[in-house]
Amino acid sequence: MAERPHYTEIDHTADVGVEFCAHDLVSAFERAAACMFDLISPLNEIGSGWSRRVAVEGRSGDLEHLMIRWLSELLYMATSEQVLLSRFRIEELDVKGCGAGDGSRIVALVHGERINAACRTIRIEIKAPTYHYLRVEETREGWMVRVIFDT
Amino acid sequence: MSSSGKGESKSRSTSRGDLTEVADCVWEIARAGGMRVPGRVYADETLLPQILSDKGLEQVVNVAHLPGIVSYSLAMPDIHWGYGFPIGGVAATDPSEGGVVSPGGVGYDINCGVRLVASSMRREDVEDRIPELINALFRDVPCGLGSSGAIGKLSPRDVRDVMADGARWAVTRGYGTETDLDRTEEGGCLSSADPSTVGKRAIERGRSQVGTLGSGNHFIEIGYVDEVYDEARAAAFGLGLGRVTLMIHSGSRGLGYQVCDDYLDVMQHAVPKYGISLPDRQLACAPVESQEGRRYLSAMACAANYAWANRQVMMVLAKRSIAGVMMAGEAELGLRLVYDVCHNIAKMERHRVGDREKLLCIHRKGATRAFPGDHNGVPDCYRSAGQPVLIPGDMGTHSFVSAGTHTALDETFGSCCHGAGRVMSRTKARKAARGRNLAEELRRMGVYVTAEGKATLAEEMPSAYKNVSDVVDVMDRAGIARKVVRLKPLGVVKG
Repeated sequence: MAERPHYTEIDHTADVGVEFCAHDLVSAFERAAACMFDLISPLNEIGSGWSRRVAVEGRSGDLEHLMIRWLSELLYMATSEQVLLSRFRIEELDVKGCGAGDGSRIVALVHGERINAACRTIRIEIKAPTYHYLRVEETREGWMVRVIFDT
Repeated sequence: MSSSGKGESKSRSTSRGDLTEVADCVWEIARAGGMRVPGRVYADETLLPQILSDKGLEQVVNVAHLPGIVSYSLAMPDIHWGYGFPIGGVAATDPSEGGVVSPGGVGYDINCGVRLVASSMRREDVEDRIPELINALFRDVPCGLGSSGAIGKLSPRDVRDVMADGARWAVTRGYGTETDLDRTEEGGCLSSADPSTVGKRAIERGRSQVGTLGSGNHFIEIGYVDEVYDEARAAAFGLGLGRVTLMIHSGSRGLGYQVCDDYLDVMQHAVPKYGISLPDRQLACAPVESQEGRRYLSAMACAANYAWANRQVMMVLAKRSIAGVMMAGEAELGLRLVYDVCHNIAKMERHRVGDREKLLCIHRKGATRAFPGDHNGVPDCYRSAGQPVLIPGDMGTHSFVSAGTHTALDETFGSCCHGAGRVMSRTKARKAARGRNLAEELRRMGVYVTAEGKATLAEEMPSAYKNVSDVVDVMDRAGIARKVVRLKPLGVVKG
C-alpha cells in the first residue's frame, strides 16, 4: 500500500482544496496527484498492482496549465479504466518545451488498483482540478502548490 | 521560476464597507479597477455576515471584469465561494459588444438541475412506507461515484442522439410523455446542440450514465406540501396541502465534466488570442461570436440535453419504483411532472436593456430561471401563475416552490436563487459530524435517509447550509420570485 501524502486541506465553502510545499518540481507534480487521489480515497488503502505509463503535454513554460493537464489526465484515466491511483513516478518533466512537441511535457509511470465498490472507501467525487486560486510557484521554502478541486 | 499567469489581472477582496444598500434586499458593489459593471447582491442583514465570510463577493467582482458584461455582475442570496464564478452568480454578456461566454460561468456539471413531480397521494398514504419507498428508489436508480447501468450501455451513436434530442430522446423510447417535455425548461432540448463539437472522451463517459444520479449534493427526495403561501398558484402547479412530492437533483454526469474540461483548455488559448485580461484563469472565455465561443455553446448545449434526458429517465424509473411499492398505477397515484429547471447553464435569451431588446448570453451558475407567466418560454398551463422555480433546501428542513416574475426579468435577467447555499466547508462538516449518527439524527427529525457514502451524508448535513427560508424570503421580498409552497422532506436518497 502507498503512503498518504502530507498536505493541508483548504477550507473552501463548496469544494475541496490542498496546499503543500515540495522540495523540487518533480515531487510537486507527483504529490499533487497523490493529494487528489488521497481526497478521493485514502492512499494507504489502495494497492499498486495496476500500472500504466502516461504522457501529458502543456503550454510551454506554463506550469499552471501543465499541472491542470496532468491532474485532469489522471482523473480521466481513473474514470475510464475504473481504477484508483496510488503511486506516481515522473520519469520525464520538461517545462520549457524542449521535448517532442512545442510545449511542456510530463511522462510518468502510475500505479493503482481496480475499483471494487464493495470494499473501497470513496470519500468524495472530484469532477475536476480548477485554475481558481491555483499556485505552482518556487519560493525560498521550496515549491508551493495549491489546487482547488470541483467536487 | 514561477508559474505563468497568462492574461491575468489582480483579484481584490471585498468587505462590508464595499456594499451599499440601493433597495430593500439589494446591495451594490461600486465599479473599481478593471470592473466593467458594478456588482449587485440580493441579501438581507441575516444573510450578509454569512455571505461576507468567504470569497463569494470577491468572485462577483471578478465576474464584473468579463468583456461585454451587461448591467451588473449579479449574486443571488444563496451566493457562496465557488471557482471562477461564485455559486449563485448570474452574468449577461452582449455578443454585439464583444461579450464572452465562459465555461467557468456554467461549471463542470452542465445543466445540473432539479425536477419536481406532484402526486395525488396524501402524506398519510406514504408515511409508514417511507423506508420501503426510499430503499426501492435506492435500488432502482443507480447512484454514487461513477454510477452506471440504468438503461444499459449506449453506443456512441446513441449518445450523439441523446445530445441532439435531449429529453425527447427518452420520451420516444418510452420514458415519459409529451406533457413532460412541455413542463421542462426549453422543452428539454437546446436546439443549438451540435454533437460534432463534443470530443470522444466525453461521449465515452456518457455511454453508461443516462438515468443515473451520481454523487455529491445530488439526491432524490420524497416529501409533501406542508405550507401553502399562494393558493391560486399552488393549484396551478398541482401542489395541494399535504400532497406527496418527488424531487430529483442531478445533471450531465461525466459527459458534462469532460465537455467543460475540454473547452476550458480551448479557452486557455483563446484568452491571449483575443487579448482578454482576467483576475482568475478559471474565468477563461472567448467572444460568443468567435469560433471557440460558438463551439463551446454547441457542446455545452449537447451536455445540457444529456442532463435533461438523464433526469427524464430517472423520473420514469422513480415513478415505476414508487408505483411498485404502492401497488398502484402511476395514473392512479397522480404522479405528474410539475417542472424541470436547470441551474448551471449559459443560454442565449432576449432581454430588455434600457429601451432596447437584446440577444444576450445569460450565464447562470447555481441560479434558476424565473420567468413570468406571459413570457413565451413558459408553458401555457402556467400562464397565470408564472414559471415554477424549484429551490431545494438541505435534506433535514424544507424545500420551496416559488413563481417567476416581471421584476426578475427587469432586474436579474429572469434569474433567482437555486438552493440554500453552503455556509460550512465540506472539511468542517466532516469534522462536525465526527462521532455523530447523522442518519439517526435525521430520522428523529422525521427524514429517512439512505446514502451511497457516509462522507456524503456528513458533508451534506443540514447545518452545512444556510437557512433556505431566509434565502427564499429575500427573493420574495425583492419581488424576484413569489413564494408558492413549502415542501417538507420525508425520505432522501443521497448519491
